[in-house]
Amino acid sequence: MRYRIAALAVIAVAAWLLPYGLDSYAIHVVNIILIFSILAVGLGLCMGIGGQVNLAQVAFFGVGAYATAILTTKAGWGFWVSAVLAVAATVVMGLLVGTPALRVQSHYLGIVTLGLALAFTNWVTNAQIAGGAEGISAIPVPTIPGVDLSSEYLYYYLELIIFAVTLAFGLFIVRTALGRRMRAMRDDALAAGSLGAEVPVLRMTAFLLASIYGGIAGVLYAGLIRYVAPESFSIANMFLLLAMVIIGGRQSLVGCVAGAVVLYLVRELLVDYPTAAQIGYGSVVVLVVVFAPTGLAGLPPRIRQALRRRRGGAGEAARLGEFRPYEAVEAAAGDEPILVADAISMHFRGLKALDDVSLSVDPGEIRGIVGPNGSGKTTLFNVISGLYRPTRGRVRFRGRDATGLAPYRLARAGMSRTFQNLRLFGDLTVEENVLVALDRHATWQSWRYVGRPISVLRRDRDLHRRAGEVLDRYGLREFAALPPKSLPYGIQRRVEIARAMAAAPALLLLDEPAAGLNGEEVRQLSEIVRSIRDSGVTVIVIEHNMGLVMSLCERITVLASGKVIAEGLPAEVAQNPAVIEAYLGDSMSSDDLPTLPEVAR
Amino acid sequence: MQVFFQTIIGGVSLGAIYALVALGFSLVYRTMGLVNFAHGNVVTVGAYLASTFYLTAKLPFAVAMVVAIVVTAAIGLVIERVLRPLENRDFDLMLIGTIGFGIVLDALVIMIWGATGRAVPSPVQTAPLSLFGLRIRTYDLVVLAIAAVATVLLVLFLSRTKRGAAMQAVAMDHEAATAVGIHVGRSNAIAFMIGAGLAALAGGLVGPLLYVNPALGGTLGIKGFAAAILGGFGSIPGAIVGGLAIGILDSFTAGHFQGYSELVTFLVFTVIIMIRPTGVFGERTVNRA
Repeated sequence: MRYRIAALAVIAVAAWLLPYGLDSYAIHVVNIILIFSILAVGLGLCMGIGGQVNLAQVAFFGVGAYATAILTTKAGWGFWVSAVLAVAATVVMGLLVGTPALRVQSHYLGIVTLGLALAFTNWVTNAQIAGGAEGISAIPVPTIPGVDLSSEYLYYYLELIIFAVTLAFGLFIVRTALGRRMRAMRDDALAAGSLGAEVPVLRMTAFLLASIYGGIAGVLYAGLIRYVAPESFSIANMFLLLAMVIIGGRQSLVGCVAGAVVLYLVRELLVDYPTAAQIGYGSVVVLVVVFAPTGLAGLPPRIRQALRRRRGGAGEAARLGEFRPYEAVEAAAGDEPILVADAISMHFRGLKALDDVSLSVDPGEIRGIVGPNGSGKTTLFNVISGLYRPTRGRVRFRGRDATGLAPYRLARAGMSRTFQNLRLFGDLTVEENVLVALDRHATWQSWRYVGRPISVLRRDRDLHRRAGEVLDRYGLREFAALPPKSLPYGIQRRVEIARAMAAAPALLLLDEPAAGLNGEEVRQLSEIVRSIRDSGVTVIVIEHNMGLVMSLCERITVLASGKVIAEGLPAEVAQNPAVIEAYLGDSMSSDDLPTLPEVAR
Repeated sequence: MQVFFQTIIGGVSLGAIYALVALGFSLVYRTMGLVNFAHGNVVTVGAYLASTFYLTAKLPFAVAMVVAIVVTAAIGLVIERVLRPLENRDFDLMLIGTIGFGIVLDALVIMIWGATGRAVPSPVQTAPLSLFGLRIRTYDLVVLAIAAVATVLLVLFLSRTKRGAAMQAVAMDHEAATAVGIHVGRSNAIAFMIGAGLAALAGGLVGPLLYVNPALGGTLGIKGFAAAILGGFGSIPGAIVGGLAIGILDSFTAGHFQGYSELVTFLVFTVIIMIRPTGVFGERTVNRA
């Protein structure tokens, strides 16, 4: 920490003294680099942190610059008033460009944003008000009393301060709740949604941030060059910007800045050979994505890791601790079922995955759902947790109609789930995985980042403390800082349960929690699930391990071919002829056979 | 009414070009789930190669086209080979990788052929046909015929040959395809090669219709991509329908909105995608939990 502050101080002093060593051309280049850095940070927030492909960043830049130009020259308003309005206009544009992200993702989003960026250049080259292909010149010099901003040396300080503030703000977001949620959404939107992250709001936030940064950069550009023309906001510049972010490392804002600085300097060096420069940076982009996907920002950790490996195995491997049971709560007398599925049908085109399935679960129950593969168990979970809207039927959760509610709304109402194929956030640490679930604040409250940053920090410290408690309880303390992908499968399963429980649910849905676990791990799992139930949480579990189901669940529902064929106490169900037929009759050779011997223990 | 039909006819030949570009996108997408952002630049390269062999080397138009197709197919192979380590792992990175290739190809075109464009005279010199008072350029008919033949050949290749069937298998499940002994990398390489060949075909054919310049492929690429999405990404009939639709839309917006035609085309396209992201023929993919 002390080193960091010292390094920061050195950088700040160096940045402050920089103009003294530069001639007038060099300072101009530096000023442009700062503008590109702000743009790159905005793009990094949207693409690297939020995972939203945005090829319209250059259009945001353009809207900011053009709006400033038009408002100052045509409307005759002052520079700073125009600047504020210009950023506001960019934000409107950003939200418009971001709307498709609510419906489409990845390359679709890429082409839509690229298309809208082209539409913008098309508009400015044709519109009278934007000056057509000649652009707008004679933008007035921005004024600050006592400072002559027509000097590029003084303008540098203005840019430097704005750059430092925007970068710090970006880092602040990335390191705290909002950024964590955005990264979770980037890694797995489905899992983030079922942990209560409002995916649509977060996607719009990503574009909102990108457009604010783009707008600020545009205003600074208009004030610096005092001339805007369509070619500054062309697709070629968009790709240059993209290259900066990729080469620098899209998941690190500092990396984005490094990429912007390096790439612009290289381009400046090769200014007489623009095509050669273009071939150069294009090839570097290709090499980076193939060999170093984390970009420049990923190099220091790699080097550190290599050094550590050479130095040899210091420290020992992290170990899984004991699970510390929850304190038992006297079960509230169940007056009303917590979950009611009423005649649910789910059809995919011709396929009837669920056919008239009804189910009622009482509070404090552990309910097992079993059935051969393809009998519709996971589909039922997906309907209950809001991933699918059922073709017919209603779902009631805690006495309210919950049919087709968005997963994040259900999560906030107290439903939490795990996934059959593990959906942990791969690029977050184990602790951050838990933190995402712990964070119950609505995303719209993120205005606090501007209004009350201290309260954001305080809340984050509190979340960290509570995450520590969760990790302790599940014996995961030693894995806190590791990425989940590096952990053994059994531990990943436990992390997922810890994460689901961190959301403090009233109803926990476990989708095959014992898949891939060894005997001892299954025993621990059954202990954990019991303790969770004893703490007052209702549990529904899909499981193939019949030994576990028989010993753990109070009631069992059996599905076959999308229909409920039996429901009752474990012993009753196991003797039901329809169940035996479903298991033995048509899936003799599958691994779904009830393996009763495993009950032992 | 006369004007209406004339506008449609004006859009159809460019629409056929968009359809060819869209076919290239779709073929690569259905095989490996990847959008090749360098596709538009490959179109530019194809257009320049064809026009160079036709104008400078004085080869017959058809031969020039074949040479262009062979060279660009080789470029497609290179792109696939370099990005192969990322296949089936990280599509966002691959997407950016193809953008990188696009940047390189763009610069190479300017380096080799210069930043200025060239006009390619039509290889068919007959006078326009007149049908019910509508003027139809003969070259437009040639374009339509070639595009139709190319589509039929592609469909036959995919449905009737072993190699084509293997590509379909890879498209459905690359792991299962590996398990039954299909070389997934090679299959992807062929998809890329055919995709690039189609791009060159489109580029070569468009030469006499438009002015060949370095920015040609960018526009064609994005419109072709829009066409592919509009029809339903990965679907071959979708690519054709989408291509023709964008061509006709283009021709109408050019008539009504003049300079703003591009703006209107992209706005319409965005609205359509928001309403129906899977396009006309697209399958709704179920996100499995």
